[in-house]
Amino acid sequence: PCRMSVGFIGAGQLAHALVRGFTAAGVIATHRITASSPDTDLPTVQGLRKLGVNFTTSNKETVSQSDILFLAVKPHIIPFVLDEIGPDIEDRHLIVSCAAGVTIGSIEKKLQQYRPNPKVMRCMTNTPVVVREGATVYATGTHAEVEDGRLLEQLMGSVGYCTEVEEDLIDAVTGLSGSGPAYAFTAVDALADGGVKMGLPRRLAIHLGAQAMLGAAKMLLDSDQHPGQLKDNVCSPGGATIHALHVMESGGFRSLLINAVEASCVRTKELQFLADQEKISPAAIKKTTLDQVMQQPGVTAGAVGVRSQGISMFSSNPRTKKK
Amino acid sequence: MSVGFIGAGQLAHALVKGFTAAGVIATHRITASSPDSELPTVSGLRKMGVNLTISNKETVNKSDVLFLAVKPHIIPFVLDEIGPDIEDRHLIVSCAAGVTISSIEKKLLQYRPFPKVMRCMTNTPVVVREGATVYATGTYAQVEDSQLLEQLMSSVGFCTEVEEDLIDAVTGLSGSGPAYAFTALDALADGGVKMGLPRRLAVRLGAQALLGAAKMLLDSEQHPGQLKDNVCSPGGATIHALHVMESGGFRSLLINAVEASCIRTRELQYLADQERISPAAIKKTTLDQVLQQPGVTCCNVFWNRENIVPLTLNVLLPYEVHSNL
Repeated sequence: PCRMSVGFIGAGQLAHALVRGFTAAGVIATHRITASSPDTDLPTVQGLRKLGVNFTTSNKETVSQSDILFLAVKPHIIPFVLDEIGPDIEDRHLIVSCAAGVTIGSIEKKLQQYRPNPKVMRCMTNTPVVVREGATVYATGTHAEVEDGRLLEQLMGSVGYCTEVEEDLIDAVTGLSGSGPAYAFTAVDALADGGVKMGLPRRLAIHLGAQAMLGAAKMLLDSDQHPGQLKDNVCSPGGATIHALHVMESGGFRSLLINAVEASCVRTKELQFLADQEKISPAAIKKTTLDQVMQQPGVTAGAVGVRSQGISMFSSNPRTKKK
Repeated sequence: MSVGFIGAGQLAHALVKGFTAAGVIATHRITASSPDSELPTVSGLRKMGVNLTISNKETVNKSDVLFLAVKPHIIPFVLDEIGPDIEDRHLIVSCAAGVTISSIEKKLLQYRPFPKVMRCMTNTPVVVREGATVYATGTYAQVEDSQLLEQLMSSVGFCTEVEEDLIDAVTGLSGSGPAYAFTALDALADGGVKMGLPRRLAVRLGAQALLGAAKMLLDSEQHPGQLKDNVCSPGGATIHALHVMESGGFRSLLINAVEASCIRTRELQYLADQERISPAAIKKTTLDQVLQQPGVTCCNVFWNRENIVPLTLNVLLPYEVHSNL
């Protein structure tokens, strides 16, 4: 088990899923995990508390309690958080950003205002980490060491598949396995509708649909064969399955899935571009959230780059004017 | 308990691989037969230590539980061949899509009063012990027979009893389901490759994402739609992707698929119930091989001039078959 302490900035779906997975895997004890969020009303906050995680409303507290720091907030919040915790980062800290579309370069640039060699990594995972069948890829930043990569791989490998990739592939991975579970949930919903149409009770239809999908995916993962070959093996001549496949192909089934992966990847790149524009409208942050953060000990308006026109994401010298 | 497979194709091979991985039965207690020893699955079965024979009658003699793992149109042919050899102990489990319990019982009742018959619909992921199986129980099968079948099939995945009239729908959903998944995975990987991923990684990530999602669903009480909502952050990448899928009628294509497979299954059952198989449906070489088996005479396998009549009673006909095939 990991002797390090792990912290989550953000206590939403991702933090909750990762903590559930890590604890099921026994790879880290819950008392070594801290999570923070200014919003204590999130349903996941309660879940995290029940799991035995140290919950706090202070991101700075999470930083001081942790060695590995997962940034598990929405992409547009990242710069805001980096400004808040930047001064508190120390040599031991490994920052792992899970935010879609946020580049290592942008995070390093921000943190370098505060210290010379921030250790940053970027990962793209997905929610099935909660049942220890996640799909995770990661890229390593300029100042992160080989041991940091190994440590992350040990953690993420405990909750599913994990491999290192070049950073420029991560947006495509987002489109495929990041969003992938949503495609699967939609598919099982539809398959179950098909089963119900043909006379099956709903619960049985959902179970059979999910089980068929799970079994097929497992066969593919365990096999050297091409998915097309595995498909061929299930299609007996003149049989039911090949009839079904024909109607799927007639509707352009495959194309819809290629479109989906592309759309998710393109949107990810778009969000990254908007972020790189270095401007967030104050409308993107709730005022109540902002107030709560400002109330944390040690946080000043100067530390959190709040300006009269907008929160500037990547500016070097934030003004001290409180909005 | 010994298990036999009439038929040594994909299904028999997948079930044997699953059963042996599960350790639920030793391979020396498994026999499989097929007149076609060229099938690629035959050498796979041999390698696993299964007793292989070209004689279906030998399989019957060596087994207590008998899986009929041949194509639906072959079933009546096989039933006529092995009918005389069925004994009280035998439990016949038909895996043939669209073949009703009553058609099998009707055939076997020519040979003995209380044939124990069950019908199941499974799928190929039994090979990795993640199959989906349903079964229905025939008139003379006992509770212990159900328990036995459920024990076997649960060792290789999900298994539950259903009313027989649901089995065609199950065929459309989880019987054919893996093919829908393999097609989806091929397409998802194409999407990944289009956006810059190497093929192997794309296949791996796609399969892992589907597996993980399916497992989440099976482990959760929540509706698939709720789980989908949980993954769609506001204005994010995933909801953009879902929109393009919905625009193309993605869900409808899958409903269509389940329906088409189910309808074709019923169609095949109807054709079988017509009690007519064209001789063109059986290869002459296969027929010859069967006729060469000890104990099989042309009288067991009923011919008439135009067709093989699957469900006729004791009709002795001249051995004119060769000239007609």
